Amino acid sequence: MKTRTFLVISGPNMNLLGTRKTSIYGKGSLEDIHRGLRARAEELDVGVECRQFNGEGEIIDCLQQAPGRFDGVIINAGAFAHYSYSLRSAIASMLLPCVEVFISNVHAREEFRHTSVIAPVCVGVIAGFGKKSYLLALDALANLGAA
Amino acid sequence: MKHYAVVHGPNLNLLGKREVGIYGGRTMESINADVEAEAKRLGVTVEFYQSNGEGELVTFIQQCRGRVDGILLNAGAYTHYSVALRDGIGAAAVPAVEVHISNIYKREAFRHVSMIAPVCIGQICGFGAYSYILGLRALIEERLDPWLA
Repeated sequence: MKTRTFLVISGPNMNLLGTRKTSIYGKGSLEDIHRGLRARAEELDVGVECRQFNGEGEIIDCLQQAPGRFDGVIINAGAFAHYSYSLRSAIASMLLPCVEVFISNVHAREEFRHTSVIAPVCVGVIAGFGKKSYLLALDALANLGAA
Repeated sequence: MKHYAVVHGPNLNLLGKREVGIYGGRTMESINADVEAEAKRLGVTVEFYQSNGEGELVTFIQQCRGRVDGILLNAGAYTHYSVALRDGIGAAAVPAVEVHISNIYKREAFRHVSMIAPVCIGQICGFGAYSYILGLRALIEERLDPWLA
C-alpha cells in the first residue's frame, strides 16, 4: 500500500490522443501517458489512478469522490479548462491539491486557450511539454509538503 | 555535456526578503544551489544570471545563441509586458522554459498574460522553488523523451 495516491484526470478528446492533430498533441496515445505515469509513480513510491472522461459532469462526479481516496489530483481538462466554471467549483470544493496540465503550449495557440478558469484554484500549471507535462505534474504533487 | 542558462529577472535578487507570503522564504542563492544539485544529478552544467534591467536581460539572452542548449527563465514582472524580451528569446533561437514561483493565475489580472509564453516551449508556475527544478527537467531530462513531433 502506497502512502499517497494521486488521481489523474484527462478531459474531452484525450481518448483520441495519437490519432488527431498529432502536430499539436503528439503521436503518443493516452495509454502511453498512463504507462509513463505508472512507471514514474513507481520511482516516486506513490500510487496513481488514471481516468478519462469526455463529459463535464462525469469529471465533476469523479472529483467529488476524490477526497478521502486520493491525496491530490492532476487534471488535463482539455477545452473545459477555458470555460467550465462548474469544473472550477468542483476543484475548489474538493480541498485537495490539484495541478493543471496541458500537452501543448496553450499560450502559443488561439486566444481563447490563453485563459484557464481552473488555474486560479490549482496549485500551479504545467503547459507545453507533451507527455512530460503529466510526469512533471506527478513530480510536483509528490514534492508538495517536502519543499 | 549539455549546458543551460538559468535567468532571473527583476526583484528576484530579493527572494526570501520581500513578500515572502507570495514568493516564499527561499533566497535566490538557495534556489540556485538546488538547481545546481539537480543539474549535477542529471549530468548537465548550468550557469546563473540575474538582472533587474530589461536591456541587460535582452543582451544576455541574445548572447545565449549558439552558446547554451537551453534557457530556464523567470522573467518576473517583465513576463507580462516585455515585447523586447519576447523578441530576444525569439532571436536567441534557443529552447526556453518559462517558470514562476507563484501561481500567477491566482493573482492580479495583469499577471495572467505572458508576453514570452508563446516563444517558450512551455510554462511552469506555482510550485515555489520547485518550479525551477521542474523547469530544468522539462528542458533536459532524457528519460522523459520529447514526445511532441
